[in-house]
Amino acid sequence: MAAFEPVLTKNVGKPEALTLQGYRQLGGYEGLTKALTMEPDAIIDEVKKSGLRGRGGAGFPAGMKWSFIPKGKDKPKYLVCNADESEPGTFKDRLLMENDPHQLIEGCAICCFAVSANTCYIYIRGEYVKSALVLEQAIKEAYENGILGDSVMGSGFKLNMYIHRGAGAYICGEETGMLESLEGKRGQPRVKPPFPAVVGAFGAPTVINNVETLCNVPHILTRGADWFKSIGTDERNTGPKLYAISGHVERPGTYEHPIGITFREMLDAAGGMWRGKQLKAFIPGGASAPILKPDQIDIKMDFDTVAKAGSMLGSAAVIVMDETTCMVRSVARLAKFFNHESCGQCTPCREGTNWMELVLKRLEHGEGTERDAQMLLSICKNIGGQSLCALGDAAIGPVKSLVDRFPEEIEQHVRERKCPFPQPRYFENGA
Amino acid sequence: MPKVTINDRTVEVEAGTNVIEAGLKAGVLVPHYCYHPRLSVVGQCRMCLVEITENGRKMPKLQTACSSYVMKDGWSVRTDTPEVAEAQKGMMEFFLINHPLDCPICDQAGECGLQDYSFKHGVAYSRFQYEDKRTYPGRERIPLGANVVLNMNRCIQCTRCIRFTQEVAGTGELGFFNRGARVEIGTFPGKELSNPLATCVVDICPVGALTSTRFRFAERVWYLDKKPSICTGCEVGCNVTMEQRRGDIKRYKPRFNPEVNDYWMCDFGRATFERYKKVPRLASPRVKAEGGNGHAPVLNTGWSQALDAVHRALVSAQGDVAFLGSGFLTTEEAYLFAKLADLSSATRRSVPVDLGPEWTIPRHQRPPITGREAAPNRRGAELAGLTSALEGDNGTDDLLHGDSPVPAVLVVCDSDFGQAAWDAATVARLRRAKFLVVFGWADSPLALAADVALPVAHHGEKDGTFVNVEWRVQRFERAFAPIGQVRPAVEVLGDLLSRFEGGWSQVSAGSVFDRLAGELPAFAGLSWHRLPATGAALHVPGAQISDRAAETASEASA
Repeated sequence: MAAFEPVLTKNVGKPEALTLQGYRQLGGYEGLTKALTMEPDAIIDEVKKSGLRGRGGAGFPAGMKWSFIPKGKDKPKYLVCNADESEPGTFKDRLLMENDPHQLIEGCAICCFAVSANTCYIYIRGEYVKSALVLEQAIKEAYENGILGDSVMGSGFKLNMYIHRGAGAYICGEETGMLESLEGKRGQPRVKPPFPAVVGAFGAPTVINNVETLCNVPHILTRGADWFKSIGTDERNTGPKLYAISGHVERPGTYEHPIGITFREMLDAAGGMWRGKQLKAFIPGGASAPILKPDQIDIKMDFDTVAKAGSMLGSAAVIVMDETTCMVRSVARLAKFFNHESCGQCTPCREGTNWMELVLKRLEHGEGTERDAQMLLSICKNIGGQSLCALGDAAIGPVKSLVDRFPEEIEQHVRERKCPFPQPRYFENGA
Repeated sequence: MPKVTINDRTVEVEAGTNVIEAGLKAGVLVPHYCYHPRLSVVGQCRMCLVEITENGRKMPKLQTACSSYVMKDGWSVRTDTPEVAEAQKGMMEFFLINHPLDCPICDQAGECGLQDYSFKHGVAYSRFQYEDKRTYPGRERIPLGANVVLNMNRCIQCTRCIRFTQEVAGTGELGFFNRGARVEIGTFPGKELSNPLATCVVDICPVGALTSTRFRFAERVWYLDKKPSICTGCEVGCNVTMEQRRGDIKRYKPRFNPEVNDYWMCDFGRATFERYKKVPRLASPRVKAEGGNGHAPVLNTGWSQALDAVHRALVSAQGDVAFLGSGFLTTEEAYLFAKLADLSSATRRSVPVDLGPEWTIPRHQRPPITGREAAPNRRGAELAGLTSALEGDNGTDDLLHGDSPVPAVLVVCDSDFGQAAWDAATVARLRRAKFLVVFGWADSPLALAADVALPVAHHGEKDGTFVNVEWRVQRFERAFAPIGQVRPAVEVLGDLLSRFEGGWSQVSAGSVFDRLAGELPAFAGLSWHRLPATGAALHVPGAQISDRAAETASEASA
């Protein structure tokens, strides 16, 4: 495993990759050149064969998503690149956009050609100012050199690419919420079906892919699906993967590993636990993933294994917590986030996330009762699977795992009528 | 058409029908808040969760019935499984934890979606014991416009009102602000909810968040008696439910009729009943002493003396009689007046056109319906025979304006026949008749000036039919008994006609309608008891219809 050669992040730390010329010298735009000589269906088949799964969180096979786009020419088609990276703990797409913007443009262009979309939007979260500026510069350069515009690299295929900056709502990272926001409406998810592949942006068929997913595409085309499949654990979990590791580790950051690396190896790569403390819990896939305990330290970090362990890989944002962490406080903070970010249109999510936050805050302040754990579970049950979009399910992930896996901590809070853990101050402002 | 089974009841529905509508067809009510048949489907209240099995394979999650469309055979839907009941219970709990539960002072209590569903699907105790309810301080009584007041604390965020202003009224004054549990409804800055259909948002609000200024604190809804009626605000003939207590009309609510007003009605129409409270009533028959000259003592008499006086006058006039009709008469009354005109050999009869403001009601999948006249039934009155289009008839319209010769006996069929009835000059002009008979509910200047004033019921106190702008005949029902000696005009005219010839005793609106349906080609084949609830289109040959409203309008502008 140690001999793994970075794929997505190979240009990170090479400032020349920011310019078109430099990116080309590093082997860029070969994938697009090759793609333009292929049949669109052949590209989709290649991506399907590679087993590339969506890196945004749901892990839906990308090739299959592309093949859902109707073939007819009666409506325009769109590609929307989801760069609204707002899951707490996730900071992988930012790295790709800031350091290797042309890789993303190339991936978008190949995808557009494969589904014959002539317009691509990159929906980027408002806080990512640098990413937006870098991408904008790169897109400008690509237009000037004929990579985008009326004829992509002289092939006659027309492609326009736009950057759309969000205004800072987590829910706009949900695909249909993003479409609403892109259309200039209030960013809140739509009822599905119809799915965006049929009725998406502006009522037209739309592919929505994460930044990292699209960045994988040029490499699949240049080096082949078989090469891609050779990385990873099995047929269903292939390719390189960015892991954003944060929390109580020595060197937090974004690391590229073959998908399916064990959590222990990943922790070692990040320098181990912070100040040699004991691992208490870790979240394998962003704020919405249920929390895992140290007995899962040898878990393979791929989509299916993590799901089997009762969590999810999600966006592969790994948050590590050491022994001094109060789980109730941590989960209360996550619940606060979901309450704050719920769009408010559907009942279970609007009312449930609010209620959960109130109960958890009460528990943390030592005002809990013996019945609260059961009540939290019951609230989770009433939200789970019954909300309009996935935010409801996301919000219950950490809460449910708290009750299921750390019941003794809740009991301790109730029994002692206070939080038994220290209240460390990491920052001047008391956060 | 695909078949769908809902709780073991199988119905055939059109492809694309959602499960809520299919359920209604099967007789199963799937509880819902945000879904409304005329608004877009947003699936956000999550109350309509059901279990759907497709060809024996159960869908992994509960589905929202509003956004599940039956496309092909093989769906089996259940709304009564423990899983569904659990979900409904959970959803009711979510709705109620932040609801103020101020039913005792809420206008919606009694017809509230939260009350109904929590009784049926909820639980009777609360687990929300230690936390504070979310409130919107200072937003308990926000006037959104002249007619609608918002109490944000009661809102369940179903967004029906927002979608109504966007999709039906087309004005889009309302919006959804903020996020999560702090989300709220409001008007956009600088806008107010003032479109002509604004109060419809009160009707579609499933809870007490939106209340009508007109009905606010007026009556507890369980004391209201309700009868199907027709709005008299214009010639559209919106179907309404007249809701009253002991003869005091409290409100009109639109009654669904896809052919006329769909689910809506305008704010102007909702206010029309207030006339019956503001205008003094004519409560008993009144006859001026014989030989009087306008200053003679007025006698309140019994009905038979008054009708005898009218009969004597009509006979002795020997045909020099005019009937001034009204668009507020029911078709049956107009028919009897026309009979009376025939028997007294009257030479002049007509219904004046009374142009009012234009009111337009949007309709689903068909052009909107617009009313220009202020009276609901000018067309019906003319079809029934009160028309100057008859041979040798000069009409009575010019009596209102010109200096045309006055007849010996003038019968004004409605003391409140329109704007002109309240105009002193018009009253003086009509008073020039030697003998003035006025029927009507209002003690208007005209009734005060009359030789014989006969108190008849207003439209809340009688049965009848109106013919609307699209020649659709619609029936309405008596909501309450008339006051004092007031009688429905149909009975009064029956008694009067009996003084001329036999066969008119004991008539009712129903019997008169059946009689006129047998006589008048436009109404052929209709009968009172079989008249559909949505009304019936009349067979009026297009060529015969002269649009008098349009003519009058162009004359007025010329």
